[in-house]
Amino acid sequence: MAMPTMVFLILAVILFLINLRSGRHWEGLRNAVKQFIAVLPVILLAMLLARLLEILIPEEFIKRWLSQEAGFTGIILGTFGGMLMAFGPYASYPIIATIYHAGAGLGTTIALLAGWTYLGLSRIPFESSFLGLRFTFLRMTLGLIFTILAGVIAHLIELLF
Amino acid sequence: MKKTAFILLIVVFLVLMVTFYLGGTPLVAEGLTRAGETAMRASLLIVTAFIVIGQLQVLISSEMIKKWLNKYSGNKSLVFSSLAGGLFPGGPYIFYPFLAGFKGKGIPFYIIFSFVIGKQNYDFTRLPLEISLTTPGLAVLRNIITLPFPFIMGLIVRRFFPKGIGGKFMEQGEQ
Repeated sequence: MAMPTMVFLILAVILFLINLRSGRHWEGLRNAVKQFIAVLPVILLAMLLARLLEILIPEEFIKRWLSQEAGFTGIILGTFGGMLMAFGPYASYPIIATIYHAGAGLGTTIALLAGWTYLGLSRIPFESSFLGLRFTFLRMTLGLIFTILAGVIAHLIELLF
Repeated sequence: MKKTAFILLIVVFLVLMVTFYLGGTPLVAEGLTRAGETAMRASLLIVTAFIVIGQLQVLISSEMIKKWLNKYSGNKSLVFSSLAGGLFPGGPYIFYPFLAGFKGKGIPFYIIFSFVIGKQNYDFTRLPLEISLTTPGLAVLRNIITLPFPFIMGLIVRRFFPKGIGGKFMEQGEQ
């Protein structure tokens, strides 16, 4: 069994036992099953999409625009790519992982992840309707700066190590 | 979720068409085989990740988060509000109405801001998915690099927008 699976398994048992004390352990399990069933089709479709993209994206494109050698261009592309990836985590993460495994640089990949985290466009309608457009604008502006910063830091880490 | 699945289904269908056009049945079969292998490899990890998410959602309540937000002020509050954002259970349908509930309650703007960024950055229900659906290495690196970001963004907002930014309900100033 792989290490992350083992860690999650232990964590799941610990949390189950903690909730057992308050008698809410079954509620937790029910939550888990309900959510898992709801998102399973999305996860499977995203995995299929990710593998198809892996086959289709030309190696030359990755090397030229997204690899470590692409440098700042890759980070900028990653930032806006993450912003435009309007899917939830179940779909976006497998796609980002595929781009990374296809040869994208660490800076590009972290910018993709951070861009999706901070700049996701799908969040805007909800946020602006509850907190206002000015709030969203400020968050997006700071998010853009910090996403690029995250990409640059990751790129430097890749260059140094 | 049904909407996401539907959009994804259309995208997958289009990509399948392109794959078939470029490489015929063998290329499509290769894509399907690779997807099947990935699903098999990640299945146990994903299932355990969901158990962790379900149990955490029961353990942490929005009442607990509300207490945290009201308890601290100053720079310390930035750390706690970011963490509270990450620990807040539920998606945008619960999260934003919860925040709207603080209207007129005198909570400084920078606390609300770092709470929102904290939710995006540290979301505890997303972390297991990030680890299981990307790679543990990538997830850990992304989290280490962006760990101080919600706090720093909160500091920037506190310094440059001490009285909030106006708009819908964010007119609350520094306390």
